[in-house]
Amino acid sequence: MRWKQFLIPVRSMDTEEARAYIGEHKEGTFTLVDVRQPGEYEKARIPGAKLIPLPELSDRLAELDPEKPTLVY
Amino acid sequence: MAGQGFNEVYNLKGGIAAWQGLKAIGPAEVGMALVTGDETPAEIVVLAYGMEEGLQGFYVAMTSNVNDKEVAAMFTKLADIEDRHKEKLFKLYRELDPSVPDLETFEADIVGKVMEGGLTAEEFLEKNRLAMETLPDVLNMAMMIETQALDLYLRYSNKTKDEKTKGVLFEIAQEEKAHLAALGRVMDKNV
Repeated sequence: MRWKQFLIPVRSMDTEEARAYIGEHKEGTFTLVDVRQPGEYEKARIPGAKLIPLPELSDRLAELDPEKPTLVY
Repeated sequence: MAGQGFNEVYNLKGGIAAWQGLKAIGPAEVGMALVTGDETPAEIVVLAYGMEEGLQGFYVAMTSNVNDKEVAAMFTKLADIEDRHKEKLFKLYRELDPSVPDLETFEADIVGKVMEGGLTAEEFLEKNRLAMETLPDVLNMAMMIETQALDLYLRYSNKTKDEKTKGVLFEIAQEEKAHLAALGRVMDKNV
């Protein structure tokens, strides 16, 4: 049983908090992940977000660094 | 993710619909043909330098393409900022390869002609000529270009395998982000 998942709640950031976070932290120290479909990503995304559609996320987690704070939308 | 070893995961409340910051657009592959993912840090700096130079050329060309003096002055200012970006990139290149004697030698080898964001200056000018007549137009356009550039550098970093090259790309992306913040402040003052 992956007991850790019950101890690490996913926190939410609103747009202001997210903007402030991205502005204050250096590129490369955090990861932005866009879990929508490619068509949605093409229309508008947060600059630098990595596209990993939700259905593929579980298979592609290795592409992300678990040590870095990760903002998902 | 939280159960898979990710220690700090945040969800953006309201998703992209609620996002009020800058947005990049276009397919994930746009501009990516320029990199293979195997570039050395020095090669990436050369590529970025070429893009910054392309963009600077575009801003310089625009100064004589607009009638409004204030707008022309803004393009000159934007071109000057690119000049500073280029200086920083050259400095970075010299750290990676001290054998390059001077800027002229370095420039003789650069990629050139491709502006930041993956379009040539001519293509971009043709597509957006009508949207660059007032100061807010120009600032909006510049912020859009720089946002695309930031996104492109970070997409390059995703494709790059070498950690040092990744680091250089993050550094360049950080510069773009600072540039965007500065443009935002100019926008607040002028619009």
